[in-house]
Amino acid sequence: MIRFGPGNLRIPKFERPVYVVAGGMTDFRKKYPEKNTCELVTEATRMAFEENDLKVSAEELRREVNWCVYSQFADHFGDQLLAASKVHDYLGFDPLGNIEVKTGGATGGSSVLAAAQAVASGYASCVPVVGWERMDEVPTKVGNSYIASAACKDFESELGWMYAAYYALMAQRYQYENEVPRETLAKIAIKNHGYARFSPYSQNPGEYTVEDVLNNDIVSDPLSVLECCVMSVGAATLVLADEETAYRLSDNPMKLSAICGGTHTLRTADRRNMPILLLPNETEETYKEYFNGRRHEWPGFSSFLASRMAAYLAYNMAGIHDPVEDFDILETHDAFTISDIQTYEDIGLRPYGRGREFIESGEAYHGAKLPTNMSGGLIGSMHAVGATGIFQIIELLWQLQGKWDKYHADPEIWTKYGKKKPDDFKSLQVDGCKKGCAISHAGTGSHVTCAVLEKP
Amino acid sequence: MANPWPTAQAEVISESPLAIKNPKTWSHYHTYGGWGKFFQGLQQKKLLATRCTNAACGEKSLWLPPRCECVDCWHPTEWIEAPQSGEIVTWSLVKYPGELFRLPADTTLISVELEGVCTKLMSWLKDGKAEIGMKVKAVFNTDAPTNTILDLAWVPA
Ligand SMILES: [Zn+2]
Repeated sequence: MIRFGPGNLRIPKFERPVYVVAGGMTDFRKKYPEKNTCELVTEATRMAFEENDLKVSAEELRREVNWCVYSQFADHFGDQLLAASKVHDYLGFDPLGNIEVKTGGATGGSSVLAAAQAVASGYASCVPVVGWERMDEVPTKVGNSYIASAACKDFESELGWMYAAYYALMAQRYQYENEVPRETLAKIAIKNHGYARFSPYSQNPGEYTVEDVLNNDIVSDPLSVLECCVMSVGAATLVLADEETAYRLSDNPMKLSAICGGTHTLRTADRRNMPILLLPNETEETYKEYFNGRRHEWPGFSSFLASRMAAYLAYNMAGIHDPVEDFDILETHDAFTISDIQTYEDIGLRPYGRGREFIESGEAYHGAKLPTNMSGGLIGSMHAVGATGIFQIIELLWQLQGKWDKYHADPEIWTKYGKKKPDDFKSLQVDGCKKGCAISHAGTGSHVTCAVLEKP
Repeated sequence: MANPWPTAQAEVISESPLAIKNPKTWSHYHTYGGWGKFFQGLQQKKLLATRCTNAACGEKSLWLPPRCECVDCWHPTEWIEAPQSGEIVTWSLVKYPGELFRLPADTTLISVELEGVCTKLMSWLKDGKAEIGMKVKAVFNTDAPTNTILDLAWVPA
């Protein structure tokens, strides 16, 4: 059993406030042979520096930078060790210092965390966080093998060389314990493919019915193709700064009031039973009836301790009491429909065992209580792994700044990516949006970060 | 004297934008170290787990996959045979396995709960249709071992 000592649950704090100033991204595609990785990261970074209504020129902003963080999940995919050095050079940031961060699917979130730590400590005052992935240089089967080498190579990877199967194991158990109707799971896929229709950056938009999702090809029982994230190529860049620098660069920077990380065993199998770590909106009473019938253990196969830990720290750090009440917008790491429901519980949108209610209640939709994955998420928009956690926070930034339309509704952006803006286009700007949350997630829950971004 | 040009040509995948094929074929040595005992144990039809030897440590369960050091106190562990029958905790069919999978598509993956073991070992079901709660027993691939985790499988008990 995991037992916490007095230091283990210390709530992190920043020595000084951290702000998000600007964001930029490429569009995301299954294949992107027209541009190499260096070109893609430059496109995203140029957008962050030039198209965010900053008070300084891109050249002046380049002269503010004093530390860089790079985010790429898999050297396997990139086929280039020390890729950060190549990208850093291409962006013209030599000889400034940099680090490259690697925590699987949460690499983007962890990179923003590393950049925030640099700013919060005073080590740096202006930090670009640049993430990318290029997953189109090998056949899909090999790509799945590469991803599965992020499972335990000694005791897991040989069993399928397919990550979706490891999620499916959790899905089967979650369903055995909680019996979520397939229709509810399908609704998550429909929602995220649907919102992706209104993003010029998205790779996998579509209008689907429950029947389309349920009758879809099964990847690994019970998950269907439309319920799984995509493999993508693309890049995303976010710029972090301290308060003084942030307001010198921008009239409306957003405050990163918390970003915290949690972990759990790489092998799902190795997760020992332990008491539920309670969030601020839960008490012992919340789970008095939880362990009965088919539920014997926590976190078991149904819950992610890493997500719970990250949310526990971030909520306490940012003064969040009830996420559904306190947040106006949310980006989850919807790698699979079922893992999204697991996450709703881990981050306290509903108590354990009742995650489905968050979708069934309608709260997760645009215009409702807590619009979730207006970006289209990983299922609809993109999963260029190293860029994903950064992409989520960029979408939050633009929402909080009230600038979602600027980056999504302009027909010229659609044309630039060779797409046509849909005739039934709908603005997904969340009105009066003040506080947002983003969850970045790796492995079968090996690393998770929880970020809270708000209007200062 | 001038050096010759390379003799092997890279296959061109696309002229515009230019993309070429880089063939890569080599073996990677897989080092099991102290965990090798587990894989060798499978050849003797033994399921070797580990347990902490530190009397002062609270962790007394068996661990499978094994660990040479205790996760809670870093003391050395001892090897102990785990039970060879247990119960399916969860399962899934692998419809589209990745490139390196040595078994056919539609193989059933399972996680197995064994008495006294605090983990839920991931493995595969060699025969039968999986159900949560189903009793299973271990079988071992000793004829043509792969010396991987695939040498262990389960069948209905
Ligand atoms: Zn011990």
